[in-house]
Amino acid sequence: MPAPILRLQGVTKRFGSFTALKGIDLEIEEGEFFTIVGPSGSGKSTLIRLLVGMEDLTEGAIWLRDRRIDQVPANRRPTCMVFQSLALFPHMTVGQNIEFPLKIRGVAAERRRERALELLELLRLPRNYHARRIQQCSGGERQRVALARALAFDPEILFFDEPLSALDYRLRKTLEKELKDLHARTGKTFVYITHSLEEAMVMSDRIAILRAGRFEQIATADEIYARPSSRFVAEFMGEVNLFGGRLSEGAFQPEEPGLRMARDPAALGLDLPEAGAATIMVRPEFLRFLNGGETADFVLAGRMIEQYALGSRLQYEVELPSGRHLTVEKLREDAFAGPRGSEVEVGFDADHVHVIRGD
Amino acid sequence: MTPARSTRIVLVLYALVVIAILYLPLVSVGFASVSRARYLTFPIADYSFRWYAEALASETVRANTLISLRIAAVVTVVSMVAGFFGALAFARYQWRYRPLFQKLILLPIFFPQAVLGLALLIWFNALGITPSWKTAIVAHLVWIAPIATLIVAIRAYSFDPALEEAARDMGASTFTVLREVTLPLLMPGVVSAGLFAFLLSWGNFPLSLFTTGADATLPEWLYARMVSGYAPLVPTVGMLSVAASFVLLLAGLALHRAFARRRARGPAEE
Repeated sequence: MPAPILRLQGVTKRFGSFTALKGIDLEIEEGEFFTIVGPSGSGKSTLIRLLVGMEDLTEGAIWLRDRRIDQVPANRRPTCMVFQSLALFPHMTVGQNIEFPLKIRGVAAERRRERALELLELLRLPRNYHARRIQQCSGGERQRVALARALAFDPEILFFDEPLSALDYRLRKTLEKELKDLHARTGKTFVYITHSLEEAMVMSDRIAILRAGRFEQIATADEIYARPSSRFVAEFMGEVNLFGGRLSEGAFQPEEPGLRMARDPAALGLDLPEAGAATIMVRPEFLRFLNGGETADFVLAGRMIEQYALGSRLQYEVELPSGRHLTVEKLREDAFAGPRGSEVEVGFDADHVHVIRGD
Repeated sequence: MTPARSTRIVLVLYALVVIAILYLPLVSVGFASVSRARYLTFPIADYSFRWYAEALASETVRANTLISLRIAAVVTVVSMVAGFFGALAFARYQWRYRPLFQKLILLPIFFPQAVLGLALLIWFNALGITPSWKTAIVAHLVWIAPIATLIVAIRAYSFDPALEEAARDMGASTFTVLREVTLPLLMPGVVSAGLFAFLLSWGNFPLSLFTTGADATLPEWLYARMVSGYAPLVPTVGMLSVAASFVLLLAGLALHRAFARRRARGPAEE
């Protein structure tokens, strides 16, 4: 395995008495699309500012390949960031913006222009945009200009600080795919920061979930979706049904009284701990409405109280006798036929269950 | 939205009152400047531009104009530079004594100018400096540089700090960031500050009176000729001075327009 392009070792950042990052370790591989996801206040903005050199760390070390860079000022690091606000220079044309890093480096005007036109093409912007003002560009075009400018810098790692967060939904979806495509075409290492796990899942090779200055989990999108390491990650990652419980005398005792297990949990092949607390997780799309005679490894009875259309899918809310709500999602062709308020039986199988250890 | 009839009447009245109070006195000076008589009487019996010819020919007027111009020019340049850096300290950078700096810099503006002039005069005497047009520059700056700072600061507040960070991130040194990003973005503010600085210095009387020593600026000369030995040149020179301010103001506006148009239209194809 090649050496990681970026390595963090015990990175800690304190602001007065507040600790924003608590001893973070991380390795990012060359060419990876790596996304750091966290809610606001998790420390993700602090982390990226440390990585590009706009903030000094309190403890720890950052290595770029075999060079320690945590004491190197931002303008001497071979990395570059696309800002949340994009930070395009309003007093320059699109071309001047893209050429800016080359101008700093003293590249000749002719060569700069050539490169800017290449990048416009790479980002699928017309060549005549070179002479345009930033104010004349749409939101999506500005994103592309910001990307082109960052690529003109030719960074070892390209950082992104939620650049898509201000855009409307459809444009964001388009640009997410474009970014992923751009990553594939350039082969560069992308490190992306966002609060949206959905965004992270579409684009990333690996995702790190940041919570209160620590990583909760670092894994691929599929892994995080199917096998979250904690309740926090499971809930952060979209709709989920969680059933807490304890293990006593080798058997799982769920807190939810209505949860019936068709078979002995030992026979289900669940990865249960020896003792202590555990949570059974199942995603809404793996819940089934059971019609007469059908059965499942886990069964719950309740009342269908609400139904929401989510486009290609339908979401149902089922109230259990204990007052808890379950979320069920079905494709439109599997829509539930009964009226609102009907009594339903919902089941799911052990194959779709993931066990989260601890509280 | 078209305002109601009563609102429109009030607006017209308001406009008339504003014009009467602000500009009518100036018109009377204008009339006085074109009267052939030595003393102003209404109605003017005989119109003439002879005082204009005399004013332009007068050695004293020319000397005083030159002094006023010299002071205003230096004050303008220094105010623009001080305003630019002062605004960065005022609005852009977080530093420990910023709140104190923000208050201290405003204080001279609230001082009565006569008191400020007197204080400076005493100060110059204590230091053994003979007052002249050069000391007046210092006096003007004490009052005008803070105003220039405020004008640039308004612009500095409205710009995204990420722009400087981005430039730095792309390899620019502190100086390059200042030259390529900060200065061009604050330029409209700096130009406005320069314009104000010139006009405020050009028209200043109280500070000049205390600190020019043996030299005299145009407003000082005007005052001196009013209180003793009235010359019919007074309204004429007054009008010329107003005209000079006005021309400068128009030039400043044109410059602003040019900036804005360049922004909106974009530069020609390279």
